[in-house]
Amino acid sequence: MKAVISPRSLFIALGLLLALALWLSLALGPVSLPLGDTVRAALRLAGLPLDDEGLQQAELILGQIRMPRTLLGLAVGAVLALCGVAMQGLFRNPLADPGLIGVSSGAALGAAVAIVGGAALGGIPELFAPYLLSLCAFLGGLVVTALVYRLGRRNGQTSVTTMLLAGIALNALAFACIGLFTYLADDATLRTLTFWNLGSLNGASYARLWPLLLVTLAVALWLPRRAQALNALLLGESEARHLGVAVERLKRELVFCTALGVGAAVAAAGMIGFIGLVVPHLVRLLVGPDHRVLLPASALAGASLLLLADLFARLILSPAELPIGIVTALIGAPFFLYLLLRGRT
Amino acid sequence: MTRPIAVFALFASLLSPLVASAENLPQRWVSAGGSLSEWVVALGGESKLVGVDTTSQHPAALQKLPSVGYQRQLAAEGILALNPDVLLGTEEMGPPPVLAQLAAAGVKVEALSADADLQVLQGNLQRIGALLGDQARAERVFTAYQAQLGEQADWVAKAKAETEAPTVLLLLGHAGSSPMAGGQDTAAAWMIERAGGRNLTTHDGYKALSTEALLALDPEVVIFADRRLSGDEARQALLKHNPALASTKAGREGRLVAIDPTLLVGGLGPRVPAGLAALSAAFYPGRTPLPAATP
Repeated sequence: MKAVISPRSLFIALGLLLALALWLSLALGPVSLPLGDTVRAALRLAGLPLDDEGLQQAELILGQIRMPRTLLGLAVGAVLALCGVAMQGLFRNPLADPGLIGVSSGAALGAAVAIVGGAALGGIPELFAPYLLSLCAFLGGLVVTALVYRLGRRNGQTSVTTMLLAGIALNALAFACIGLFTYLADDATLRTLTFWNLGSLNGASYARLWPLLLVTLAVALWLPRRAQALNALLLGESEARHLGVAVERLKRELVFCTALGVGAAVAAAGMIGFIGLVVPHLVRLLVGPDHRVLLPASALAGASLLLLADLFARLILSPAELPIGIVTALIGAPFFLYLLLRGRT
Repeated sequence: MTRPIAVFALFASLLSPLVASAENLPQRWVSAGGSLSEWVVALGGESKLVGVDTTSQHPAALQKLPSVGYQRQLAAEGILALNPDVLLGTEEMGPPPVLAQLAAAGVKVEALSADADLQVLQGNLQRIGALLGDQARAERVFTAYQAQLGEQADWVAKAKAETEAPTVLLLLGHAGSSPMAGGQDTAAAWMIERAGGRNLTTHDGYKALSTEALLALDPEVVIFADRRLSGDEARQALLKHNPALASTKAGREGRLVAIDPTLLVGGLGPRVPAGLAALSAAFYPGRTPLPAATP
């Protein structure tokens, strides 16, 4: 694969794109705020002692609604794209996505347990319900991934192929269980479940944001340190081993990272598809497969694309909003097809 | 939930002279609950509604208002863009973080109960009446509603004394896949019972019913929660495509009734008495039906 543009120009372009996406995400919304108010409110929130006359609404919308939402989009987009790179590196296949190792279906199962089980018990206060949902989704993703990893291990070796197959089987099992919960659910919980599976950045609050931000930061700082090892892994497992890479440890770390990152992202925002698949693919087409560039560039591109998709999701049907998973899939799927067909000629 | 609302309503009614005279009544309303929106209209507040959710389909004029989406998936900024004073909805409204954001932005968030219970309804109507500044009207409307349901109950009691109650199934989604039958704890069962029928299902919730089960239950009347199924032609077409249904008693005698599915959600709405009267008329075809009353 040949690079289309140099890494340096790619980073400049992606940096500008992210800055633009961040600005648009803060400046635009169903409530139209004058540009001056937005800037002044943003400066006030940044700690500048400006006078707050007539700024209450702008400050509230910017500080309590758009800012947490933007941070959530930034973190979810970046971590999904990073984990996508990790999975494509691990499976040495550009079609791999984090769903393969069961983290998404596990999280969805956890969410189904929380939503349907919570409604059946009837005793969960509305205040704690979202936290329980996030926690169950996160744990569900972690447990299923751990199971997939465990099934892929034999005699101290992890077979990526066995892991892939175990992932397919456990995904099917998880979806069967979700189907069972769907059958048991009443109308209201059914709709909650459906919407959760479509993902949303709606209702982001700082309290629920911190865990994800920490996980994202950890993944974003840690994965690039393994860029060289991932590059070596591209040559094949035994080649990587001969080059001095601790392959078993690398695999374990990649799986753990993905379970943690995607689990936290799904727990915070529900299921958002295609970012983890399309973004690394797209970046690889632009600058080639070097993970030292691929990882940070994918994080930037994933964050930008998710923020732009969210902007679309909240503006198109205003005052209602479209679940963001629909937007990413609507844009992602045709784009992916285009990439496939273009490669054929 | 009934008690606190009743107590609250009592306080509200005590304070009503103050509230009604003040000019701080909410002027811009967003309603996120089908029945509640209908009640706001019935109590004369239609002009104050600036947005409704996707379950608010009646009266048809509401469909022209901006839609704030599904009641459990409200968007904070979208609703703020409508600049409302009050957000009215059921306890199902959510997600909670969005409600908290709206409350922080100064929107009065009113979460009322959606239980199908007259006392709950009375509390809800008093609350809406207080917010509209017309409690007397709310009280009048409630009394009339209660009277209609009372007449309905009397009519059914008389009918049952003379004729045996028909066996009934309520089916959702007849097209294609197997239909879902309304179980014991559903609004469907509630409607059937109030209309004088005997619900044949024994399960809870809405569950898919196989054609064999349908034949075995052999209902005398089948209710379809589908607005499209109003004309005779639609009914004939339905029977033609569902031979199992056609060979039940209801199918052979053509006793298929369509009701508006929105009657089955969101508690007691203004159209429920009329819906019950229509069902009763279909259950007991020989009797003079109740005169159609308007809420």
